Amino acid sequence: GFASSSAADLKLQFAPFSSALEAGFWHQLTQKKLNDYRLDESPKCIKGYYYNGDPLGLPTRLTLEFSAFEVDGPTPAHCCPVTGTLFNTNTLDAFKTTDKKALLEKEAKEIWDAIQSGSAINDPSILCRFILLTFADLKKYHFYYWFCFPALCFPEGIKIVQPAAVLEQVFSAKQIAALQQAYDELCVKRGTTAVPYFLMKYTADTVQVAPLADWDAFVTDTKKVTIGVYDPCTLSQHPGWPLRNLLVLLANRWGSKLDIVEVLCFRDRTLQGNRSIQHSLIFHIKLPELPLNSACPKSVGWEKNSKGAMGPRMVNLSECMDPKRLAESSVDLNLKLMRWRLVPTLDLEKVVNTKCLLLGAGTLGCNVARTLMGWGVRHITFVDNAKISYSNPVRQPLYEFEDCLGGGKSKAMAAVERLSKIFPGVNAVGHNMSIPMPGHPVSFSQATLSQAQEDVEQLEKLISEHDVIFLLMDTRESRWLPTVIAASKRKLVVNAALGFDTFVVMRHGLKKPPATLSVSAGPDSSPSCSSASSSSSTPAGGAASFSGSSLFSNIPGHKLGCYFCNDVVAPGDSTRDRTLDQQCTVSRPGLAMIAGALAVEMMVSILQHSEGGYAVASSSDDRMNEPPTSLGLVPHQIRGFLSRFDNVLPASLAFDKCTACSATVLDHYEREGFSFLSKVFNSSHSFLEDLTGLTLLHQETQAAEVREESEQSKMGGENPSVGLEKSRAR
Amino acid sequence: MNLSVLDEQKFHYCCQLLVQQSQQLKDGWCWETVTSSDEGYLKKIIVRTVVIGSRLMWNHESSRTSSSFHQKQEDQMCETENLNAEADGDDEDDGLCTFSESRSLVLQYEYHIVYSYSYSTPVLYFRAFSLEGRSVSLEDMWRSVHPSLRLSLQKNRLSTISLQEHPLLGQPFFMLHPCRTEEFMRPVLQDQLRPMNYVLVWLSVVGPLVGLDVPLKYSTQLHLPG
Ligand SMILES: [Zn+2]
Repeated sequence: GFASSSAADLKLQFAPFSSALEAGFWHQLTQKKLNDYRLDESPKCIKGYYYNGDPLGLPTRLTLEFSAFEVDGPTPAHCCPVTGTLFNTNTLDAFKTTDKKALLEKEAKEIWDAIQSGSAINDPSILCRFILLTFADLKKYHFYYWFCFPALCFPEGIKIVQPAAVLEQVFSAKQIAALQQAYDELCVKRGTTAVPYFLMKYTADTVQVAPLADWDAFVTDTKKVTIGVYDPCTLSQHPGWPLRNLLVLLANRWGSKLDIVEVLCFRDRTLQGNRSIQHSLIFHIKLPELPLNSACPKSVGWEKNSKGAMGPRMVNLSECMDPKRLAESSVDLNLKLMRWRLVPTLDLEKVVNTKCLLLGAGTLGCNVARTLMGWGVRHITFVDNAKISYSNPVRQPLYEFEDCLGGGKSKAMAAVERLSKIFPGVNAVGHNMSIPMPGHPVSFSQATLSQAQEDVEQLEKLISEHDVIFLLMDTRESRWLPTVIAASKRKLVVNAALGFDTFVVMRHGLKKPPATLSVSAGPDSSPSCSSASSSSSTPAGGAASFSGSSLFSNIPGHKLGCYFCNDVVAPGDSTRDRTLDQQCTVSRPGLAMIAGALAVEMMVSILQHSEGGYAVASSSDDRMNEPPTSLGLVPHQIRGFLSRFDNVLPASLAFDKCTACSATVLDHYEREGFSFLSKVFNSSHSFLEDLTGLTLLHQETQAAEVREESEQSKMGGENPSVGLEKSRAR
Repeated sequence: MNLSVLDEQKFHYCCQLLVQQSQQLKDGWCWETVTSSDEGYLKKIIVRTVVIGSRLMWNHESSRTSSSFHQKQEDQMCETENLNAEADGDDEDDGLCTFSESRSLVLQYEYHIVYSYSYSTPVLYFRAFSLEGRSVSLEDMWRSVHPSLRLSLQKNRLSTISLQEHPLLGQPFFMLHPCRTEEFMRPVLQDQLRPMNYVLVWLSVVGPLVGLDVPLKYSTQLHLPG
C-alpha cells in the first residue's frame, strides 16, 4: 500500500478500457460489410459508450453494440458516448500489415490539435476516442479485431501528491448530497444523463459544478482547482482511462497557473434501487508542465489481448452465426430440454450416437428417417434399389415431383440428399443396391452370382457397422437375409410392416452372445436339443397349446421371436404366384407415418433400457405397472389396427423351427456363408422348411387351423400370432 | 373485459410505466425501437463476473457436443498467436495500471421483453456473451450463474426454454416459452383490489428463473396511476 512506499515516487496509473462487444455488433458489422461497405476499406465513424455504476470487480468497459453504426442514435442512460473510427480490412493480410503506430499517431495528433486549438474545451468528447481495426472472415465467421484507446503521455508521468480516498471519508454527508444534486442539475441543464468532465468547487455546505467551458468564470482560485470526471472504473486506487487526456488538456491550457489539482473520480451507482456516490474517489496530483506549442506528446493505447500481450483478438462466432451450426445446436438444445424438463434420466447421447441402417427408403424408410432426425440421430444409412416414381412423393416425405423426372432418382441417394437439406449436421449415406431374397434365383450367370455375393458382403459389412437395423422393405422375403445376418451378428433389429389398415412394429429377439449359447439349457434356447426333439416343439405363435397368458409375459429379450418366427411357411417368391393387386400392398396413407414413428420410438425405448435388446418384453398388461424405462414400456411387438384405432402389445417366443433365426439356419449361415445363402436364394421355400423341420411340422399340424384360431384370439391381445400377414396379402 | 389477457396497446403502456420506474431506480430497462417499424421491446443488459472455479463444471457434461467455453477461448488465442509478433503500436506505458487480471470471466447478459401476438403475453428473450461478443451456450450459462435454474424450471413447470430467432432482430436468442403465462398470471390479475402493472408482475415471476431480479422497490416505489 501507500504507507510503505514513498509518496514522492507514486505515479498516477490509469485503468485501461476493456473492449466489450455485444453479439449484435458483429451481426451488424456483417450486414454492413455485405450490404454497404463491401470492398470499401475507408475509415467509418462508429460509436461506443462507457457506463458508470458497475458493481465492484467488473473491468472498465467500452461497449459497442448493435447500434454502434448509428452515430447519431441515442446513448443508453448514464453512459457516456465515445466516438471511434472503424478500419475494416478486406483481407487478413491487410489487417496484419496495417500500420498501427501510424493510425494511433494520426488519432493522437487530432486530439492534440483539438487541445491546442481550445476546441476540446468546448467539446471535451474528443478527449476520449477509440480506433477499431477489424477483419471479418465471413466464410468462417471469424472476426479479428484490435482496439486502440489513444492517450497522450506526460514524459515523466503524473505525480500523486495525496493518494486516492473514498469520497465519504473526505466529504460530509451534506457535501455528498450537495454534490449529487449539483451534478444532477448539470445533467438536466445539458439535457443528458451523464456529463463526462466537469469543474467543481465546494465549501463545507455547498458544492457547485460547471462545464469545462466555464473555466474562466468558474475558477476563481487556481490554488484550489477540483476537476471532476465521470469515472467508469471501479478500482479503489486508480482512475479510468477518460481522465488521461483531460489532464493533458489541463496541463496544456492552464498548466502554468496550476500546481496541485484535486481530482474527483465521480462514481455513481444504484443497487436494488438505492443510489450512492459515496464510493467516488478523490485525490491530489501535481500537474506536470506541458507548454503551449510543444510537439505532440508520445501516445499509447492499443489494447492488450486476453493473454495480456500486445496483439489483436479473434472471436469465432460460427456457433451463433453459421446457420448450419445454429441448426445443430438448436436440435441438440431442444432434445436436451426434453431431458431437463421431462425425463431427467434420459440418456440422449446413447440415442444421438446410435448408427441406424434403414433397409428400404420407401414410405416406411422416409418416415423412420424423419423421426430419427427428430431424436437427433446423426448417423443414418439407406439401402434401396428403387427409383422414385410419380406416385411416391405424396406418400414418401423425402421426395418431391422433380425427383421423379428423367426416370427418377435413386431413392437411397435422393433420401440422403434431402436429409442433408433438412439438417446439414446429419451424417447420411445411401447405397443403391438390391438385397438377395429366398426363392429369387441368383444363379442365372456367373455375373448374377457374383453380383449377389457382392451384395451379401456389402449387406454384411453394413450390418456390422451399424447398431440398429431397420427392416422397412415392402416384401416379406427381402427381410429374410438381413434378419439372418443381424441375428448372427447380434444386432438389434426393428422391423415394421404394413397391411391395408394394420401394421406390426417389432424388435427381433436378440440372441445371447455365442459363447453363452452352449451352456444354456432348455428346449427353446438350446439348438442341439430342439432340433433333436422336433415333435415336442411348438411354434411360438401357434397358440393352440399356449392359451395361458403367463407364458407370454416376462419373456426376456433373448427368447423373443423374429418376424419369421410366427410363420409356418418359409419366405418364397411372394411376387410370382400372385395377381397384381395382391402384390400391390396399398395401405391407408397414415399407416406408414404411424408405424415409422413407432419403430423409432420403440428403438429409443429399447436404448433407454439398461439391458437394451435383452430387455424383458412389456405387454399390454404392463400398461398399469411401473415402467421399465424413463420413457415407459419396451414391448416386443406393437400391432396396430387402424380400423379400430387400437394398438396391442403382444410378445412371442422365438420358434425353434424359424426359417430365419433358428439355430439351424444360423449354424448353416455361419458355417457355409454364401454357399448356404445362394442355395436358399435359388431353391423353393421347401428348402428352408425341410432344413428347419417345418415340413415335418406341417404334416403333424393343420397350419391353416392355427392361423384361423389365432386370428380370432388376437382380439384380446393375448395371442400375439399372425393375422397381419393375411391382411397384407389381400 | 378479460383482465388476464394483454393486448399490444396495454403491453406498450405497461412497458412505458416500467421504464419510467426503472429510470428512477436506475434499474437499466430501456425501450428499444426497431428501425423501419413502430414495434419495440424492453431491453436490459447486466454484466456479471463468473468465477473461474466453475470452469470445471462446464466441462462436466456433454463434453462432446459442447466443449468448454474456456477451451474455445484458448483455441482462439492460439489462432491469433501468429499475429502477436508485430506489436508495432506501443512503447512501454508507465501510466497504465497493470493490475493482475482477476480470476474471473466477465459475461454480458442481455434480456429482452417482446410482445407475443400468438400468446397475447410478454415473452422473455435472453442471451449471454463474452466481452468478445461470443454467445454462451445455455448449458454453460446455467452452470455458471444459475445452478438452481434447472431445478426451479423442473419444479415450477412455469415455462420452458428454447433457442429461437428474435422476432424483431432475427438473431438467435433463448426464449422462455410463454405457454403457461396466462395460467399463472390469471389469478394475479383478477385481484381487482390492487391494480398492477402486468409486465412488472409477470417479470417478477419469470425474471428470477433466468437470473433477472426485480427489485422490491418497484412495488413500493409508487402506485400506478389508475
Ligand atoms: Zn425367428
